Amino acid sequence: MRPRDLSEVQIDALKEVGSIGAGHAATALSQLVDKTVHLEMPTFELIPIGEVPHVFGGKEELVGAVYTRLLGDIAGGMLFVAPRATAIALVDMLRSRPVGTTKSFGHEEEATFTHVASVLTSAYLAAIARMADLNLLPSSPAFALDMVGAVLEVVTAEVGMKADTAVLSRSRFCDLEQGVDSYVDAALFFLPDPDSLDVLLGRLGVA
Amino acid sequence: MASRSDIPGHGTSGVGVIEIGVGELAIAEAPAVLMTPALGSCVGVTLWDPIKRRGAMAHVMLPTQTGAAPSANLDRFADHAIPSMVDGLVSLGSLRMRLVAKMAGGSAMFRADTVLASVGERNIVVVKEQLELLRIPLIAEDTGGSHARTIELDLETGVLVVRSYVYGIKEL
Repeated sequence: MRPRDLSEVQIDALKEVGSIGAGHAATALSQLVDKTVHLEMPTFELIPIGEVPHVFGGKEELVGAVYTRLLGDIAGGMLFVAPRATAIALVDMLRSRPVGTTKSFGHEEEATFTHVASVLTSAYLAAIARMADLNLLPSSPAFALDMVGAVLEVVTAEVGMKADTAVLSRSRFCDLEQGVDSYVDAALFFLPDPDSLDVLLGRLGVA
Repeated sequence: MASRSDIPGHGTSGVGVIEIGVGELAIAEAPAVLMTPALGSCVGVTLWDPIKRRGAMAHVMLPTQTGAAPSANLDRFADHAIPSMVDGLVSLGSLRMRLVAKMAGGSAMFRADTVLASVGERNIVVVKEQLELLRIPLIAEDTGGSHARTIELDLETGVLVVRSYVYGIKEL
């Protein structure tokens, strides 16, 4: 299945998968930080790989990111991305401290942030696996703190051999208590391998 | 595909900064500056002709096109982008023996993931092989590690500026 050959029905099915997965991840995040986390309507996008580095703000913006490879019936990956300030705020929330307490991003913060990403990823995958009756496991998470454009290159490097278009399901979370300006601006990307789309669509009954 | 003909300022004295996206390449002349942001596992390769003050830059994403799906854009592969930059420069009147190369990038952004870590390494190896095949000397490089880089090539001086969060500004 080449991503650009997807039909309307198939895209709708994949959107639904994204919504279910992201809904569960948002619930997990709410429980972790002990406050209501709102979820923006998840988007499902087919993006030319040359434009992938643009999907999360300026390419040189400093972000924390966690990449998890998918094992089991579907190949691909999950990528959790948050701007540095958000990543540090998440760490504070998890330690039950006022946001702004943590100033620098050391090993301990790295471990906590990776843990958050890992929980969100697992919640997302568990929901998809149940919905589509798939065997899906996350690999151990890998962390990076650097320019978002370079982080997103994992997507292009994985897909580049197989297709010109990346299939990307993005969910954004926000904390409305803090007002629109200070929301938890983080995104979770579901990145199925182009070759695995058939498997996923088959299980959803829209192959 | 960023072909040579649709690059602004190509063949003339294009002023300003020309940004090269992932898997693209461009050729320009002084006083232009070629830049490509946020190199991770990708490699930025630059060629420069010191006499004509003309140069090229490619943002190489993957090592070889072998085994790749048929695709419109081959510039993302090292084994296509480098010969294509050389052809472009030679067709504009640069001598191949005058060209010098510099490169940066090829890092492992996610060290814990071994599959992804090897993409950067393979990119570096294939870029060097290609340069050797074309007998173009590699006079400077800043490769490997696990940090992102942004590079700028000043076509007036041939200086390659490498910026990163970890090491700040380096001039090659």
